[in-house]
Amino acid sequence: MVFAELVQYVVTGLLVGGVYALMSIGLGLIFGVMRVVNFAQGDFMMLGMYLTFFYAVAASIDPLAGALLTLPPFFVLGWIVHRLLLARVTGGDPGRQHDAQLILTLGLSLVITNATTMILTPTPRGIRTSYATQAFALGPVLLNQARSYAFVMALVLAGLVYLFLTRTDLGRALRAAADDPEAASYQAIDVRTMHGLAFGIGIALVAAAGGLLATYYPIEPNVAGNFIVLMFVAVVLGGLGSIPGAFVGGLIIGLVQSLTLLVLPFQLQNTGVFVAFLLVLYLRPQGLFGRRARTV
Amino acid sequence: MRSLSRMLIVALALALLGPVLFIGQAPAADDVKIALVAPLSGRWARQGQLKKMGADMAIEEINSQGGIKALGGAKIVLREADAGDSVEKAVSAAQRVLTREKISAGIGSWLSSFTLGVTEVAERLQVPWLSLSYADSITERGFKYTFQTSPVSSLQAEQALDLVTDLAKKNNRPIKKAAIVGDNTAASMFFYKPLREKLLAAKRIELVVDDVWTPPLADATAIVQKLRSTQPDIVFYGATNFPDSIQVLQKVKEFNVKSPIQGVGAWLVTPEYVKTVGKDVLDNIQTVVAAHPMKGQEELVKKFKQRTGEPFMTQDPLCTYAHVWLIKEAIEQAKSADPKAIRDALAKIDISSGPAVSAFYPARVKFDERGRRIGATPLIVQWQDGEPYTVVPTAVATRPVAWHK
Repeated sequence: MVFAELVQYVVTGLLVGGVYALMSIGLGLIFGVMRVVNFAQGDFMMLGMYLTFFYAVAASIDPLAGALLTLPPFFVLGWIVHRLLLARVTGGDPGRQHDAQLILTLGLSLVITNATTMILTPTPRGIRTSYATQAFALGPVLLNQARSYAFVMALVLAGLVYLFLTRTDLGRALRAAADDPEAASYQAIDVRTMHGLAFGIGIALVAAAGGLLATYYPIEPNVAGNFIVLMFVAVVLGGLGSIPGAFVGGLIIGLVQSLTLLVLPFQLQNTGVFVAFLLVLYLRPQGLFGRRARTV
Repeated sequence: MRSLSRMLIVALALALLGPVLFIGQAPAADDVKIALVAPLSGRWARQGQLKKMGADMAIEEINSQGGIKALGGAKIVLREADAGDSVEKAVSAAQRVLTREKISAGIGSWLSSFTLGVTEVAERLQVPWLSLSYADSITERGFKYTFQTSPVSSLQAEQALDLVTDLAKKNNRPIKKAAIVGDNTAASMFFYKPLREKLLAAKRIELVVDDVWTPPLADATAIVQKLRSTQPDIVFYGATNFPDSIQVLQKVKEFNVKSPIQGVGAWLVTPEYVKTVGKDVLDNIQTVVAAHPMKGQEELVKKFKQRTGEPFMTQDPLCTYAHVWLIKEAIEQAKSADPKAIRDALAKIDISSGPAVSAFYPARVKFDERGRRIGATPLIVQWQDGEPYTVVPTAVATRPVAWHK
């Protein structure tokens, strides 16, 4: 019994962590390239959930496909938000711009949450999928189908992002802009465009994560609050700005949340996460995958 | 320089337009202002929205029927304040709305944890406050301005337990093992407490699962796995946060857990449950609430449905509707919009007919010296075919109770 139960806890933790991981790499990418702490990341996730919901309601698109279909519109949205708002407070002297960025993204978060509450009402919505309440049985261990699909898709998307960053010219240019904006601009890399690209991709990824989440989690305007802190913890845990780090950070959070329950009562579930977080920061202040100099 | 002149133009425009914008909303001098402090944003915003629907409906009825007669037909105006998603926000919302202008009485704030904070502000500022919240402690602090119309949590626990043990016995499935599953918000905690401390032991029921979390819940697998392995004969259920509750119910279906679920609170009977988990999961799940449409209230429910487009009416709009009417009755009796006079009228009030008692069972409003409604008895509401019906007490039930198959 005990072993099967332990396996169930580990599997559950990893499945939950998969979506945290996808949420977190968008945030990690944006921070890595632009040095912007995007407080509105969770709100874009919420919008991604709503878009997936509307796809499902208006066009009967399965949310797993709907999640992928959120990528293009949210990339464009991210690009526009960068052009119109963020580009005004990024670049230039980082020390001076920092406060403006924080206030801008925090403000954006408030505006998005409240506008959504006003326009779409606070009534929670949900997409009913058959797989949300079904499980793959591996002996005594049950894998929730919705979470398994979401996990696999999160893995694939994260893999694609990694390949894009390491194997394509554009990806390399993006990393160059992250490593040293000044040197990159000497190499004819348009840093501003790279920032727009990073923000677009970061927003698209978190929207897709929202779409995957929507296969089993209700959608409401303030859903971001349930996840944003975990996203930040994942990104810092993995090493600020590191994409593999953010991914592993997300997985670890899911795992720790789940395994904490073996030793602590439910009310202390997130205590486990923060204890692990503090331990990592104490032993390895740059995060698990972080280098002393922050890079993608 | 250019930006300075632009700012000046904007400031000037605002200065000119400002008064015009506000005149439209400003009430006439003799309007009576009632505060509604409820969560309008954050994770309980839906409940605040439902409460506001009830309040708006009552105010429209009162005003269209000639307002408050004792005050020469004065109209009632609602001042809502957003309690947000934390006690701190709720308290500052109450502080803001009660100090900005003269408020005759207040209603709120749904979640017991919020109500505990908000009623402290109301007590200090001496504004009478009506609440549907359940926690016992709301009326255990010697407050003079707090009035609780709902039966308190501990009483609900007692009655819910009596009911389910009776039902189970009748169906030859006596309850031997029970589970407590839910969050740690105040009303839920006051419900679990007597169960844990004495009620279950008195009926020789063993508590096999006792899992309480702080919302939001990351994942329900561990909880439902315990339910599956222990197979309790009843699950006492208090997940007030919608996503948490959905996760638990989805897992219950996934793990094929058959234990009957007995909830505590009206959060378990909102329309969005049907849309999110489907009616087959909900069937026979029951919950103990302070109010729900009873036999004979078809007209009221119909009117509410037409106004709001909601598929059915539940405790939150129903109670808030009655609260506004109750304040109106108190003002009629006090013949004054002064908060202290209204408080005294509420302390003395004893009515058993009209819209002011429509939400309550039994249909009588009289408060004891603590501010609790005398005789307040909870109702049991049960999901049947995708709609929640009052099933207990039978005198006011809209459908007979069904036991889990």
